[in-house]
Amino acid sequence: MMFALNVSGIGKHYGETLLFKNISFQLNRGDVLAVAGWNGSGKSTLLRIIAGLVRPSAGQVGMFFNSEPISKESRRRFVGMVAPALSLYDELTGLENMEFFSRVRGTACNRNDCFDIIDRVGLTEHATKMCRDYSSGMKQRLKLAQALLHKPPLLLLDEPGCNLDSKGIKVVEEIISEQRQLGMTVIASNEKREADYADRVINLSE
Amino acid sequence: MYKFLLAIWMAVIIVAAFLYAEAATGFPGETSRILFFHVPQAWIATLSFLISMIASAVYLAKRHVKADYLAQSAAELGFLFCVLATITGSIFAKATWGSFWNWDPRQTSIVILLMIYGAYFAVRSAVSDPNRRRVFAAVYSILAFVTVPFLVFVVPRITTSLHPENTMNPAHPGMDPKTLKVFLGSLFAYTGLFVWMLRLKIRVLAIEGLREPKFVNRKSDRG
Amino acid sequence: MHQTKSGRQTTQTESSIYLNEAFAIWFRDLRSEFRTRYALNAILMFAVTTLIAVSFSIGSFRIEEAERPFLYSVLLWIILTFSALSGLARSFVKEEEAGTIDVLKLCARPQAVFLGKLLFNLTLLGALELIIVPSFILLMCYQINFPGFFIAMIISGGLGLGAGTTIIAAMIARASTRGALFSALSLPLLLPLMITCIKGCERAAIGISSAGWPEVKIAVAYFVIMITMSLLLFPLVWEE
Repeated sequence: MMFALNVSGIGKHYGETLLFKNISFQLNRGDVLAVAGWNGSGKSTLLRIIAGLVRPSAGQVGMFFNSEPISKESRRRFVGMVAPALSLYDELTGLENMEFFSRVRGTACNRNDCFDIIDRVGLTEHATKMCRDYSSGMKQRLKLAQALLHKPPLLLLDEPGCNLDSKGIKVVEEIISEQRQLGMTVIASNEKREADYADRVINLSE
Repeated sequence: MYKFLLAIWMAVIIVAAFLYAEAATGFPGETSRILFFHVPQAWIATLSFLISMIASAVYLAKRHVKADYLAQSAAELGFLFCVLATITGSIFAKATWGSFWNWDPRQTSIVILLMIYGAYFAVRSAVSDPNRRRVFAAVYSILAFVTVPFLVFVVPRITTSLHPENTMNPAHPGMDPKTLKVFLGSLFAYTGLFVWMLRLKIRVLAIEGLREPKFVNRKSDRG
Repeated sequence: MHQTKSGRQTTQTESSIYLNEAFAIWFRDLRSEFRTRYALNAILMFAVTTLIAVSFSIGSFRIEEAERPFLYSVLLWIILTFSALSGLARSFVKEEEAGTIDVLKLCARPQAVFLGKLLFNLTLLGALELIIVPSFILLMCYQINFPGFFIAMIISGGLGLGAGTTIIAAMIARASTRGALFSALSLPLLLPLMITCIKGCERAAIGISSAGWPEVKIAVAYFVIMITMSLLLFPLVWEE
């Protein structure tokens, strides 16, 4: 299973403000890339562009499976994302959220798979509680679960350690190292600790 | 050069409408003369809508910004002519039927067209991001166009049965050759006016568009 | 997870999973709605308040018998349409406000989102009609001589209302003047439908044997055309 990400010449501007330009890199299985930069430098925006949520002002994001390009409609199976702006449904329980996302992605996850992933992020006791009652750390863990549910080869983590305690941070570390077997990771973060997980760094403030 | 010819032609038509052509029989007094102006205005208003819709579809397919300029310009001019048509139509209605407004099929259709234009401009002003604004406006334009056949189909069925007195059809003035000449001349003049204003407006939009940052990204639009 | 070489699902599995995804969105919306009653409250409040105002001021006898079929039909459809406009945008607006819209964009196919939201809106409309129409008939003493035709008109009108407004709801979800904008954009599109429904209900009340139920056919045609166009155009709106 050979998934590859090819980002070439990405630039983004909002109105007259230029955020960044000419961002290019290639990722293959086992790569971990960190995106660093000051606040407002566009780290989150770059991840959103890769995920397909935002249109870049210039450049292209190419995804390939066994060297065949993947169409935009199919990319949802290959990408998992965690970000502060990506919230989950407050009126559902953790388990219901997982079941919904697996069903809506069209993946073949059953209840057990959902339970497994909830265990993985350490939310077992809270699986049947409403997300509304979760603490911010628990919500973050659930977001991680949502990103991993369909075992995507590309993991996009925007501030993955946000709101997490030391146990949670350990979970994130494990996820990143396990992801090296499955595929690749892009981390956007202000924390040096998180940038240290990566083999390569791109600094948007340069 | 073209615009001077147009101005002269328009002046000729206006004079001819009052002095050369004869007032049609069957209409009180001189009222039929307004039809030299009203019908072309209504025709341009509808044509504009069609042009705007087609330009919108082209924009959605090809993402050429010029198509959006055309769509926007055609909509603005169409709105202008629609207002004119409504006003001249009401004047005619007052003179011939006694009241400015009585919801006969033509009046209803022109008002609904006015509402559609208004909603189109509401879409354009409500969205700040230029790409999104263009896409949403284009989508709305197409949706609105799709409902028009229903209007054409449905409204006559309803109003003829509710308001039986409005069977009078403000159709083209009779077959009198002088009248026909002036009418066609007026149609030609209005179309010329429309095309001239359209091209001006598109040029204005294109110049304003030069102020926008140059990263117009076409290839990655389609991914 | 079965991937062909280019990562696309084969067409056979594509269409079957498609509906499944739409149903997932529909049921999730229903579940959220059941727990919060966010949209239903808005719609019912508007409808009930208007109905009470109308019933109180006009009563069952102030309008003459001959005028009733038509005027009552007009009032009923005004109540239904404007109640719908007060609440049908909620499913998209709520996602936008809660921040869940991005996850949905990441996971779901646009057509599935549209169908799911449409089904949800139709459910809301169904609940609205189920509560308001009988209440209206009772409170105003609305005599219906052709109940079958009347019911068909109400149902097909409701379908049309949902179909015409769902894509507009998606467009205005991010705007700041959502409520007003939703109504301003939807009304020109809904006018032909409203006119047809008013006419149809009037005829059903009078008891004119409308051979072939033309108004119902027009409403259903409207429903089909709006859904088709929305399915084509929604992905463009969704991706912005």
